[in-house]
Amino acid sequence: MIEFQNVTYNHQKDVGVNNLSFTIPENDFAFLIGPTGSGKTTLMRLIYFDLLPQAGFVKTGDYSSHKLKKRKIPYARRDIGMVFQNYQLLEDRNVYDNIALPLHVLGYPTREITERVEECIGLVKLEGKEKLKPSQLSGGEQQRASLARAIVKDPAILLADEPTGNLDPVSAFELVKLLQEIHETGTTILMASHNYNLIKGRGYRIMELQNGHLRGNG
Amino acid sequence: MDQIIFLISEGFKNVWRHKATSLTAIFTLYVTLIIVGLFMIGGENIHKTIQYVRSKYKVEVFYKQEISDLQAKAIAEKIRKIRGVRSATVIEKKDAVNIFQDQFGEDIFNVLGYNPLPASTVVNFNRNSPKRLKFNAIIQEIKSMDGVDVVRHQGILVNKLERYYQKLLANFPYVSGLIVLIAVLVIYNTVKLSVFSRKNLIYSMQLIGATKSFIKMPFIFEGLLMGAISTLLVYPSMLGFIKGGNFLIQSVAHLKMSLSVDPFIWLWLAGLAGIISVLGSYRAISSILK
Repeated sequence: MIEFQNVTYNHQKDVGVNNLSFTIPENDFAFLIGPTGSGKTTLMRLIYFDLLPQAGFVKTGDYSSHKLKKRKIPYARRDIGMVFQNYQLLEDRNVYDNIALPLHVLGYPTREITERVEECIGLVKLEGKEKLKPSQLSGGEQQRASLARAIVKDPAILLADEPTGNLDPVSAFELVKLLQEIHETGTTILMASHNYNLIKGRGYRIMELQNGHLRGNG
Repeated sequence: MDQIIFLISEGFKNVWRHKATSLTAIFTLYVTLIIVGLFMIGGENIHKTIQYVRSKYKVEVFYKQEISDLQAKAIAEKIRKIRGVRSATVIEKKDAVNIFQDQFGEDIFNVLGYNPLPASTVVNFNRNSPKRLKFNAIIQEIKSMDGVDVVRHQGILVNKLERYYQKLLANFPYVSGLIVLIAVLVIYNTVKLSVFSRKNLIYSMQLIGATKSFIKMPFIFEGLLMGAISTLLVYPSMLGFIKGGNFLIQSVAHLKMSLSVDPFIWLWLAGLAGIISVLGSYRAISSILK
């Protein structure tokens, strides 16, 4: 579950979010739309505690921003999977090692890591590309590798910040379809996008953000 | 256990993954350690060198014509007691004739009908004193003795050498401290640059929930490995330098001395490389993770 209570965060020179209150219940799939600079990324960063609210509080899973100690932030992030527009894959290692990394962080045994990574590679259809470096993949493949890395630890919450921003329409459509499949396994998903055409008519909740304010929430 | 193995292997793999930065760091470490190592070997051999040079100092004391061999021996005994003198060997009048014959091929006794050569004494000095040899004072004391006619010596050269030796001894701790400090800063900054070049990697690790210690460990193992590689490269190079130095000393300069290395220097260099690269990695990564 994700909960915002009167959350405000303003950047020094940029729009942040103002007095936001909403709740995304467990197993929900919500889209967050709004133009560039409307505060979508700030909202996402508040959810995974990369930013802490200047007013109000954010609750993500069992962790609440007003009680959270700095050293506990890594643990709070362990139940959150993240997908970014620029993929954030580690260029110095291959696809397999990128996807396996969160499991090493969590201390999984090697045998289980192999099983889980292979399963995720199959899910995002990257079989045969395990040994390739991110730079050797297309944008769509990199984003699927990024998605595999986000879900390999089986997180309760998946955040996708403009995941289709660098993708062609076909790859973008396939990625959203993949997110829907992941949601069906019980994962709470929040996906930020400025592409309304991609998300409309899917029957999921759409939250609209403008200048840091929530305009639509339903 | 799997996690520890992963962290160690990550540290080692990182050296391979970032070949260019690792090579730069290893090369910088290597050059710095070579400079420190050569300086340490130099320091260790300074005293040996001055001992060798002192063994070559020679003073010849010629007595007045009327001084008999027996009197010469008595004066030589007094010379031997002067502080800084190791030996005083008397050359009796008849020995002087033999030496003259060896050098000039003539028996001076047959030429002149008498022996004009005075008795003399060859004086050698203590080699082991870590202090400056007070050469001038010794010469003055010998000159002031009754029966001494002429004292031949290389006073200007000896004084210069002794003065340089003394200056070197006085400044060695400061210079070595400065060199080690520069080495520490160079190694630390090289490691720091190598860590800073991977800021994105560190940020990505943070996003997937890695703790600070989890992020730090591979960098520390990486630093340790780079330190170990540089040290392993330094050893054969230093041995090469020493062999080359000994070759120059013995074959080119024809000096009967050789440079030696205290095995402790190897340990010291390994410790320096290890500690600084690990501390450098730790400090650099800590400053990014603040």
